[in-house]
Amino acid sequence: MKINAFTKTYEGRRVLDFPGMELERGKIYAVIGANGSGKSTFAKILTGVQKADKGRVHTDAASVGYMPQKNFAYRMSTKANILLAGKNEEKARRLMAELQLGHLENKRADRLSGGETARMALARLMMKGFELVILDEPTAAMDMETTMLSERLILDYVKETDCALVLVTHSLQQARRIADHALYFHKGQLLEEGSADKVLYTPEKAETRQFLEFYGA
Amino acid sequence: MKTSIMKAIALILSADAELLDILGVTAEMSLQSSVIALLIGVPIGIWLGASRFYGRSALLVANRTLMGMPPVVCGLIFYMLFSGVGPFRHLKLLFTVKIMIMAQVVLITPIVVGSMEGYVDRVAPAVRETAKGLGLGRVKTFFLLVNECVYQIISTYLLAFARSIAEVGAVSMVGGAIAWKTNVMTTAIMQYTNRGNFTLGIALGIILLTISLIVNIVISLLQRRLSR
Ligand SMILES: Nc1ncnc2c1ncn2[C@@H]1O[C@H](COP(=O)(O)OP(=O)(O)O)[C@@H](O)[C@H]1O
Ligand SMILES: [Mg+2]
Repeated sequence: MKINAFTKTYEGRRVLDFPGMELERGKIYAVIGANGSGKSTFAKILTGVQKADKGRVHTDAASVGYMPQKNFAYRMSTKANILLAGKNEEKARRLMAELQLGHLENKRADRLSGGETARMALARLMMKGFELVILDEPTAAMDMETTMLSERLILDYVKETDCALVLVTHSLQQARRIADHALYFHKGQLLEEGSADKVLYTPEKAETRQFLEFYGA
Repeated sequence: MKTSIMKAIALILSADAELLDILGVTAEMSLQSSVIALLIGVPIGIWLGASRFYGRSALLVANRTLMGMPPVVCGLIFYMLFSGVGPFRHLKLLFTVKIMIMAQVVLITPIVVGSMEGYVDRVAPAVRETAKGLGLGRVKTFFLLVNECVYQIISTYLLAFARSIAEVGAVSMVGGAIAWKTNVMTTAIMQYTNRGNFTLGIALGIILLTISLIVNIVISLLQRRLSR
């Protein structure tokens, strides 16, 4: 699967300059970097919710699933939200159970807490299979326990659907736990990219090393 | 003062024939005009709020201008178009309930458009982004957007109805406040007060305030349900 090169400029300021890369199915790609380094912009452009400076389609994936950094719950029950992407009741029930949403099934989803909304959004996305899936900080609002459950689920999902999964995360630990590859964004540049073992433990660039040190590596 | 209010209440309780006729004309005018304004204004408002195109902000400015149009100016325009010298005089609509409804629709529709546009402009990006991320089609996305708007449509309708029932400037000009024909609550209050007959005016005032109170209670209950 290919991601083409693109750039993104906001109000005359270049916030992202992506050189393009190949993605392999069945693998998890962690995107790490400081706040404002362009991670969400990268996710939005891959998904197509935002345009790059030139052109629109930047990947040749047949279908792209996306969980935004700010999740939105439609004004209907948690279960109805989850069933939007696929009508499989049994699967919905299983996902709700696995993400500890069972007791919230009939609750209005727009009244869920931040962490609950994130879990609902993850379950909702996983009702469907995509060639490419992009999760923008899916566990940022979750507690440790549900974060672990979500990571387990993400791993299973990738195995089951054989998709390429881009995981934007501010958690270095999370990237180390589940990613196969890692991309380090620095001030809108893809500074370093490669296997997770390499980028997340023994990076080449000084900036990446500094970033890892900040996170208590 | 006190005896006037007592008399007014007695008049309401006695189901006075002229009072009932005024209430009937008022209901006909405000219900019809608010429903028509809703049917025209809601789709336009959703469209303006959900889409981005060249000229959209010009349309929004135009709508805001119409929202601020003084009712008497609207009445004047309709009067000129339909009176004995106007281009539409042969339709013989001047001083009928129909033309009152038309003038009201012109006054209220921009309010409906503005109310819907503002709301949709706020929710549409999240609704769309989420639907796209789930790979949902355009039709489903549109229904999800409309589903988010349900309470807003109801409270917009109540707002439109309240405006319609309280309007006086335009309807008195084009309707003429003719007893047993085009006299509505507001025009009747003016008329009877001018004649020194306060009882009917007070009775109508009490009814208007009560309706307004009910409408506003419903709106605030809805808003409480809406707030997250
Ligand atoms: N809609 C926007 N308008 C202007 N600037 C934006 C917009 N969205 C993001 N930016 C800017 O682009 C840069 C990258 O943002 P983002 O991709 O959200 O960073 P990250 O997700 O890595 O924290 C930031 O400096 C941010 O302020
Ligand atoms: Mg971000």
